[in-house]
Amino acid sequence: MTDAWTDRLSDYLDDELDPAERAALEAHLLHCVACGAALADFKRIVMRARALEDREPDRDPWPAIAARIGVDAGLGPTADPRPARPRRRWSFSMPQLAAAGIALMALSGGAAWLLHPVARTRLAVQGAPPTNLGIPAAVRAPGRGYDGAVADLERVLVEGRGRLDTATVRVLELNLAVIDSAIVQAARAVAADSANAYLNSHLAETMRRKLELLRQAAALVSSVS
Amino acid sequence: MTPPGTGAATLQHEAIGRTDPDAVDATLAASGDAHAFERLYRGHLSRISSLTSRMLGDDDTDDVIQDVFVRAWQKLGTFRGESAFGTWLHRLAVNVILGRRETLGIRRRRHLDGDAALETVPSRRQTPEMSMDFETAIGRLPDGAREVFVLHDVEGYRHAEIARMLGLATGTSKSQLHRARMALRRHLER
Repeated sequence: MTDAWTDRLSDYLDDELDPAERAALEAHLLHCVACGAALADFKRIVMRARALEDREPDRDPWPAIAARIGVDAGLGPTADPRPARPRRRWSFSMPQLAAAGIALMALSGGAAWLLHPVARTRLAVQGAPPTNLGIPAAVRAPGRGYDGAVADLERVLVEGRGRLDTATVRVLELNLAVIDSAIVQAARAVAADSANAYLNSHLAETMRRKLELLRQAAALVSSVS
Repeated sequence: MTPPGTGAATLQHEAIGRTDPDAVDATLAASGDAHAFERLYRGHLSRISSLTSRMLGDDDTDDVIQDVFVRAWQKLGTFRGESAFGTWLHRLAVNVILGRRETLGIRRRRHLDGDAALETVPSRRQTPEMSMDFETAIGRLPDGAREVFVLHDVEGYRHAEIARMLGLATGTSKSQLHRARMALRRHLER
């Protein structure tokens, strides 16, 4: 299903809207399930695109290139151990990353407070949420991808959205938008500096926060079913 | 064949004191050092190969990869170190790819409705082949949408840059990107 805002979702995601349009679209997102779902899918697509691995061709073109430029292909390069190069053009400043992290902590903390009384009971039955920092449990679990776990939980939330009160939905969606934005930004930073331990840890922690928030939200939906 | 251009001596002078191995190798290669050029080639091959196959499809990659590095060898004298060598090479590669695209245009449909091609791509969201399926889905996008998607979402170019490179209006670049995402979304939903 599409509406007049659907065609603006990419511009919103890419921060190409002016402030007034952005505010109007965010207001629309508070009550439009279809646009919220489309936006979540777009974010997932962008993250996948940025995570694509480069690969070498099946055949080494060097002999043909060497022949064309008139050098001996059999010489081989001299040894040259050097650090991996940044792959792409994504860049993200540390101040921006810090600001995103602070906003993320403040907002997801509020959501946790809102959801906790009910979610705690459900989680006690389902098992404790992951408490270790680092790679999210859903990522580490064999045969179970992070994307899949997030998609399943988001589906539960979308389908059960109508059973939650408006204020709760608003807080949830705002938090998810902030977390998604933080994940995209952290992924950009990691893509530009893949060896940076802090950035990798920050990305993993941000992904874990999203998974945890979705788990709590899904538990809340189940509790009011 | 020595790379043409008059910039080699200047480049060598500018490179003194640099610690960037690529910049040093670019200097050496510009003066005819094939070892240095092969090091640059080995270091950037996977990125150029992936860019080429995503932009054009696997059928044409071998020739285009050759063209990119032959052109780079010929143009090394124009590399001034104002940006990283990888950035310079990547931009050169985009230009070569876009030039090839024009040649191939007679047998491709650009900016035409081809979203239905994604219907033939299997969707396996939860399997190890997911990444390859996503690559395949990108490859099935209509040419115009795929080029913008690869340049924007995979490579990180801004719409204004893409519009200049592809000779489009910025609004067209945005609409092609949205179209690509919508098509990929439909594929991933299946």
